[in-house]
Amino acid sequence: MSTIIDAILGYCFLLLTVRVLSRRPGGQLTLFEFVIVFLIGGVSIAATVGNDRSITNCATAILAVALMHRLVSWLKQVSPRFGAVVDGTPLLLIRNGEWQMNVMRGMHVDPEDVMAAARAKSIGSVFEIHYAVLERNGSISIIPKHPSPDS
Amino acid sequence: MSTVRSLAVEDSVAQVDHEVAVGEDLAFQRRWWRFEKVIWILFIVILLLDLGGTFGRGPLAHARLRTPDGELSVHYERIERKGTPSMMRITFGPHSVAGGTATVSISDSVVNGLGTQRVIPQPATTIIGRDALTYTFPVSGAAADIQLQLQPSAAGVYYFTVSEPDEKPLTGRIVVAP
Repeated sequence: MSTIIDAILGYCFLLLTVRVLSRRPGGQLTLFEFVIVFLIGGVSIAATVGNDRSITNCATAILAVALMHRLVSWLKQVSPRFGAVVDGTPLLLIRNGEWQMNVMRGMHVDPEDVMAAARAKSIGSVFEIHYAVLERNGSISIIPKHPSPDS
Repeated sequence: MSTVRSLAVEDSVAQVDHEVAVGEDLAFQRRWWRFEKVIWILFIVILLLDLGGTFGRGPLAHARLRTPDGELSVHYERIERKGTPSMMRITFGPHSVAGGTATVSISDSVVNGLGTQRVIPQPATTIIGRDALTYTFPVSGAAADIQLQLQPSAAGVYYFTVSEPDEKPLTGRIVVAP
């Protein structure tokens, strides 16, 4: 019983913490962000399972987390507003060739992050970018001013 | 055989500059950034309170009970954490030691609720009472300390009493955080 409650509380707290950390951990994991993900994961496991390392206890915790995940997914589907709270909304980093500096600062995104996404689409210069969108999953989509050869 | 429902495609995602369907909601994002600031301040406050011991294992968590004559005192943590060991120390003054023994009654909430794991040193005798356990310890010096290792198994508020025979009990409260 307490494991289920701990797992549900842990899920909610982790969801909030990861949500306010930044959006990038789900998209472009750097080594720096790997540290955060592994450390938070390890600490959460210890607090949820406690001293009871039995398969029953672990299975109960996993089922509780799985159920919470399913519930949150369902709520996201029926309520776009809830989806925005959990995942955020896509945000423009470059609009019509202009940096959206308030969004860049607010989301802790550097021009280097945008250029990394641009290079993945064979775009070598920021001047070739028409729109850059920070997606809900943390990835950056690039829409070039002129269609690139591989698009 | 089940049928597949189909629905005409609609452009429900808000466009930017009538050009790209992004679904950006800057008004919501600005509210979220304000919420984030509040949450980060809250996180910092929680950490500072934790450093002080508000959630246990820190200076603010230490507590002491003492009889008016100072013959019996109890050092304990007023805030503990579920499943985390801690020590409760009971100190007997010179007048509490009679005939080479010290006797103390401890409410059973210390055993049941707060999860006493062991008593150091081992008591010579243990008498089970109605709501308390009475321990007797052999003492060679003028004063003595005994320690109880606690490990609560559930969160909650627990009240306990510690007393010498025929004396008014010391009453304390321990909050066990999840």
